[in-house]
Amino acid sequence: MPAQRVADILAAAGVPSAPSDELLGAVVRLEASRVADALAALLAEGFDFFLDLFGTDTGEAIELTYHVRALAALDDVFLKVVVPYDGEAPSVWRSYPAVLHAEREAAELLGVSFPGHPNPKRLLTTEGCDPFLRKSVAVRSAEEVRLPRE
Amino acid sequence: MTGVQSILPEGTQPTPMLPKGLKRVPSGVDQLATEHLILNVGPQHPSTHGVLHMLVELDGEEVIAAEADIGFLHRGIEKLAESRRYHQMGTILDRADYVSGFHTETAFALATEKLAEIEVPRKASWIRSLVMELNRCASHYVWLGPVGMDAGAMAPFLYLMREREMILDVLEAISGSRMMFNYVRPGGVVRDLPAGIDAPLRAWLAIADKYLGETEDLLGGNEIFRARMKGVGVIAPETALAFGMSGACLRSSGIDFDLRKARPYCAYGEIDFDVPLGTVGDAFDRYKVRVEEIHQSVRIVRQLLDGMPEGEHTSKVAKALRPPAGEVYAAVESPRGELGIHLISDGGPTPYRLRLRSPAYYNLGVADELLAGGLIADMIVSLGSLDIVLGEIDR
Repeated sequence: MPAQRVADILAAAGVPSAPSDELLGAVVRLEASRVADALAALLAEGFDFFLDLFGTDTGEAIELTYHVRALAALDDVFLKVVVPYDGEAPSVWRSYPAVLHAEREAAELLGVSFPGHPNPKRLLTTEGCDPFLRKSVAVRSAEEVRLPRE
Repeated sequence: MTGVQSILPEGTQPTPMLPKGLKRVPSGVDQLATEHLILNVGPQHPSTHGVLHMLVELDGEEVIAAEADIGFLHRGIEKLAESRRYHQMGTILDRADYVSGFHTETAFALATEKLAEIEVPRKASWIRSLVMELNRCASHYVWLGPVGMDAGAMAPFLYLMREREMILDVLEAISGSRMMFNYVRPGGVVRDLPAGIDAPLRAWLAIADKYLGETEDLLGGNEIFRARMKGVGVIAPETALAFGMSGACLRSSGIDFDLRKARPYCAYGEIDFDVPLGTVGDAFDRYKVRVEEIHQSVRIVRQLLDGMPEGEHTSKVAKALRPPAGEVYAAVESPRGELGIHLISDGGPTPYRLRLRSPAYYNLGVADELLAGGLIADMIVSLGSLDIVLGEIDR
């Protein structure tokens, strides 16, 4: 499905977004505060399969990627929102319960929060661990290799 | 018991109206405050590979709520990947799903090839499919055995280990390792199939269906095993979808989705096989689906072996691979479901971000929904039937 079609679905639900067709597939960028509305609209349009949520430290903020699929039509859509460090995005578990673990993981490993999550505890690491998927947290291992980036 | 013993001081108690020989009124334990019990199951491995801690709230023998506590095997694979070159990645990715390492390796290779626009020789694709199907059988064997033990069937485990050993010997001859293969690389595979691999493979093919049939008689034909599995851990199709379940767990709920058919990769577009489906979505359906998947994998391996093309096993790929900046997603159908690698490159020699979409991670998400309302005795069978590998869940 072209990204523009996805953007049209979101526009019909009152969520403005910026579509782009990339190597990844149909990517739609939107405001973090509207992501729950956007995913609810996609679910209603037949995007019944939630694949993944993960965050990336872009160096300036945290970019969250939501990956959903319409199983019958085999259409994949990637929703991307940007939240500041220690920022927040609404929990989308009411549309996709599959996200429950992934939101907890993203919260602890990237230091963001998901208001509305029914069980906002740490998932993988213990209390006091750094949000180590941020680039500012170094890999502390003997094998660490620092390769020059031109 | 508080209602029985008097709290009045000595000497002020009323004359007890008790029959001779009794110290107190036998009032039973009704006055005990009954409360829910929180039970820790683990951290250990109930029919799973790895370490899982389950917290279950019990009312008598009934499970009220359940929560999976994971992270015991968390090694930060996604973070470590940011400091590894592309050809070094197999080493750490093998340790994610260590029961079927070829699938993680291949998913990563497919993602890298997409990003760097690397052509893969036809033979390399066929070898990848071959080792992945062998790995799928080995993985299903090591699920089938322990899940039988959970339900009280001890014997099949050792028979299945015997067959698994035959596969691991073949995989060792091909890759040099029994489980941590590090064999599939961007561009192809490390080396060609060794000469003479045909014989041990055909030896396994000759017995695979027959021996598995014997195991089916021992397990699926056993009344006790059927009673423990049937109607236990039922997952409705809408529940499976809601929790993002994939693989045999999704298909046993009746949803026909297999990446090998939906988006053929490697050699699967040229191979003939069926996708088994369940109807009820209970633990017995998941057992049947996985057993049938082994039969189908045997079919696939036979076709791959007969039609193995000639040619190079890898294309020329730079040692220090620097894919252009970009973002891709590539996925394979692992024994547990859709295993995806989401790769972001900034043009450097190491990935900028690598995300492993673990199928078992999402399959385990259903735990509370699956276990609540069931009996504590069914919990191990229900959980075991999901076929989770904690190495992949915790990453």
